[in-house]
Amino acid sequence: MAMENKKWLTSLLCASLAVSVSACGPSKGASPSADPSASMGASAAATTGGKEAKPQLHALNIWMKDDYNTYPVAKLIEEKTGYKVKYDMLPQDKANDKLNLLMASGESYDLVTIGGDRSLYGDYAKKGALVDLGPLIEQYGPNIQDKLSQDSLDALKIDGKIYGIGNRSSAFASYGLMIRTDWLEKVGMQAPATVDEFTQVLKAFKEKDPGGNGDKGYPFTITGDSPMVTDLMGAFNLANYWTDIDGKLVPPPLNPGFEGYLNYMAGLYKDGLLDKEFAVNKDATMKEKFTSGKIGVVSLGWWDIPTVTDALQKNFPDAKIAYLPALKGPDGKMGLGMGGGFDRISFIPKSSKHPEDAIKWINAKLDDDLFKEIAIGEEGKHYTVKDGAYSPILPAFNDERNQANNYLTGVDEKNYPIYWQARVKKDMRLYEGFNYLNNVLPAEARLVDPLALAPSMPINSKNSAAMTQLLNDYMVKVFVGEEPVSGLPDFIKKFNATGGQENEVEINAWYATVKK
Amino acid sequence: MKRTANDWLLDTFAYFFLIAIGLMMLLPLLNVFSKAVSEEWAIVSGKVGIFPVGFQLDTLREVVTSSTFSHAFLLSVGVTIVGTALSILFTAVTAYPLSKRFLPGISFVMVLFVFTMLFSGGLIPNYMLMRQLHLINNLWVLVLPGLIGVFNLLVIKSYYESLPEALEESARIDGARTYTILFRIILPLSMPVIATIALFYAVGYWNDYFGPMIYINDTTKQTLQLYLQSVVMEANTSTALTKSVEDMMNMSPEGIRSATVIASTVPILVVYPFLQKYFIKGVLIGSVKG
Repeated sequence: MAMENKKWLTSLLCASLAVSVSACGPSKGASPSADPSASMGASAAATTGGKEAKPQLHALNIWMKDDYNTYPVAKLIEEKTGYKVKYDMLPQDKANDKLNLLMASGESYDLVTIGGDRSLYGDYAKKGALVDLGPLIEQYGPNIQDKLSQDSLDALKIDGKIYGIGNRSSAFASYGLMIRTDWLEKVGMQAPATVDEFTQVLKAFKEKDPGGNGDKGYPFTITGDSPMVTDLMGAFNLANYWTDIDGKLVPPPLNPGFEGYLNYMAGLYKDGLLDKEFAVNKDATMKEKFTSGKIGVVSLGWWDIPTVTDALQKNFPDAKIAYLPALKGPDGKMGLGMGGGFDRISFIPKSSKHPEDAIKWINAKLDDDLFKEIAIGEEGKHYTVKDGAYSPILPAFNDERNQANNYLTGVDEKNYPIYWQARVKKDMRLYEGFNYLNNVLPAEARLVDPLALAPSMPINSKNSAAMTQLLNDYMVKVFVGEEPVSGLPDFIKKFNATGGQENEVEINAWYATVKK
Repeated sequence: MKRTANDWLLDTFAYFFLIAIGLMMLLPLLNVFSKAVSEEWAIVSGKVGIFPVGFQLDTLREVVTSSTFSHAFLLSVGVTIVGTALSILFTAVTAYPLSKRFLPGISFVMVLFVFTMLFSGGLIPNYMLMRQLHLINNLWVLVLPGLIGVFNLLVIKSYYESLPEALEESARIDGARTYTILFRIILPLSMPVIATIALFYAVGYWNDYFGPMIYINDTTKQTLQLYLQSVVMEANTSTALTKSVEDMMNMSPEGIRSATVIASTVPILVVYPFLQKYFIKGVLIGSVKG
C-alpha cells in the first residue's frame, strides 16, 4: 500500500513537472528581472571577491565525472586569469529541462556552457534571455576576435546579434567500416575499393566462412537505429544527411542516389550477407557480435577501437582489424561524412552580475600560452612535441587533461585541431584508426556537412527527431524486404507531408544566402 | 487437516510462480554484479551472463576509491541519517495532537495536511520558493521540504488512535503531563510503527534522485543517486547524440558503470533484511484498529 502510494505521488509529481515546465515557456523573458532579491548567493560571492577587484564568477557547465572545482585545470585557470570561478553543473539526464528551470527562475550565472545544441541556444536568444555579446567582445575580447573565425561567430548570430561563443568542432571523419583483415587473408582477398568488390568480399566471407561460425555468423552487421551506414552511404552520394544537388540541399529520400542505396542494402539482406537480426541490434550487441568473432565487418567509431580490439584479441589472439577505404559507388561517388559545428556553446544569461568580467575571462583563456596549457598541459609534463606533432605523456595527461575540453569556452581554431591530436594518441591503435580515416585517405574521401555552420533553424530542430525516426523505420523495412523499393515515391510523399517539405524550404532559404 | 492432491498442486504452482518471479528480479541484478567484477573484454564481447568472467575487483576498487564517489556516498549517508532522525521526530510529534479528535478544529488541520497529499504548487513555484528560502544548493533542501510525509503521518496517527485511552488517563492520574506521556508512554509503545516509518524515510532519503537533481547544482553537493544516474545515463543513446568525440573518448566503460550501480545499491540492500521484520509487522499493526 505504501509503495502504491509512493508511485501515485511520483506520477503526480511527474505530471506537475510536465505542466510547469511547459507553462514556464512564455514567461521566460519576464521572470529573470522580475525578482531582484533572487541573486543573494552571487552578490555575497561578489563581496568576497571584491578585495582583489576581480569578482568571483559563477559558471554553469554540463556534466562531467570529476569535480569541476578541484580538477587541475580549474586551478590553472584561476592562477593565470586571476578570476576565481565557482563551477556548478547540470545533471547528465534531463540537462535541458534543468537548464530551462534555472534560466526561467533567473539564477544568476555569469556564464553557461552547454553542448553544441544550437536550437536550445537560439531559443534562449530569441526569448531575450541572453546578453548581447557584440559590444562586449568589441571592447574586451581581442583574443576572441582573433582566434575564432568569422564563420564561427556568424554561425551563432541570431537576428544579426551574437549571443554565444562556440567551441568549433574539429572537422574529421569519425566512423568507418571496420573489417577483419585476418578473414580477408584467409579468403585470399584484398581490401575492397568499390562497393562491388565489397559485395564480393562479403560473399567470400559467407561461402568460405573464415570465422567457422556456420550459420551463426554473418559477414556484415549494422545497428537497427542507424541504417545510414557511413562509407556505403557515401558511395551513393549520401555521405551527409543533406546533399547539394544542383545547388539545392536535399535530404536522403529526394537524393537520386537513395534508391540505389536501398536496393544495395536490401540485396545484401536478401543474400544473407547482412545480419538477419540487424534491426534489433543496439550498439553494444553489434560490438558483442563483432568481438565474439561472428561478424566480418561493422561500422565503428575510432574511439571504440581500443576496447573492441582488446576484447576481440582476447577471444581470437590472431584477429586483426582495419578500416576500409572510402568505397566507390556505381557512379564513382565516395566519401565519409564529417562532423562539424560546435562541441560547446557558451552564453551569458541576462541575470549575470558580471557580463564584462565573463568576457574578459573568456578572452584571457584564449591567450596563446594559456590556451595551450589548458588544452594539453605543460610540455615535458603532459605532452611532448616532435615536428609539430603532439603526443601525450601518460598517465599525467589522462589524469590532468582528459577533461580539459570541459573548460574551454571558444577555441583557438587554427591550433586546437593540432593540439587536439595529442588526445587521439593516448592509444596508438586509436590513433592509427583516426589517422587512416583523416590523414591517409585522400581529402576528397571526406565530405564536410553543408550544415556544419548553419544557424539555428526552428522548424528543422522541431521536426528533426521525428523525421529521422520516420526515415530510419522506412529504411529498415525496405532492407528486410517488408516494403519494396518501388514504393519509394509514396514514401517521399509521406516524408514531405510530415515535415520534409518545410524543412527543405527553411534550409534552402538559408543555403541560398551562403552559396557563392 | 489432510492435504489433498489439489492442495499439493496449488502449492507446487505457487512455488514455481514465486520462484520464477524471484528469478526475474534477481537475474538482472546478478548480471550487473557479474559485469562489475568481470574483465572489460568479456563484457564487450557479451560473455558475461549470470556468472563473472575473469573475476577481478579492480573496477570496484577504482569506483569506490574515486573521490567523487566516496564524497557523494558520505553525503548520501549523512542526508539519510539526519533526514530520517528529524523526519521521525517531527512526524511522531505532529501525529500525536492529530490523533486527539476532541481538540477543537483538529479535523480542519487534518484536512490541510491531506490537501498537500493531493495538490502541489508544481515544480517552478517550488523552485522559486526554495530559492527565496536560500535553500538552493543547500543540503537542507533535501530534508526540509519533505520533512513530514503525510502518508507516514497518517499511519502513525492511526497507530496512536489504536492505543487504549486508559493508558493516558492512568498516566495523567499519576501526575504525568502531556510531554511526559508522549515521550515516556506513547512513543515507546509505538516502536514497531516508528521502526517501519523510519525505514520508509531512510529508503526514501537514500533513493532520492529528483530532489538533488532539481535543487543541487553545486559539484561538491552531488548525492550518490544523482552521481549514479549521471554515470549510468552516460551511455544512453539519447544523451550520446549530443556528445562530442572528446566526450565519447572520456566515456566510462560498461564495467565502471556496473560497478557504480553495485557500490551504490549494496549498502541499502544490506540494511533491508535486518529491518524487514519491522516492515511487515509495523504496517500490519498500524492498519488494524480495534
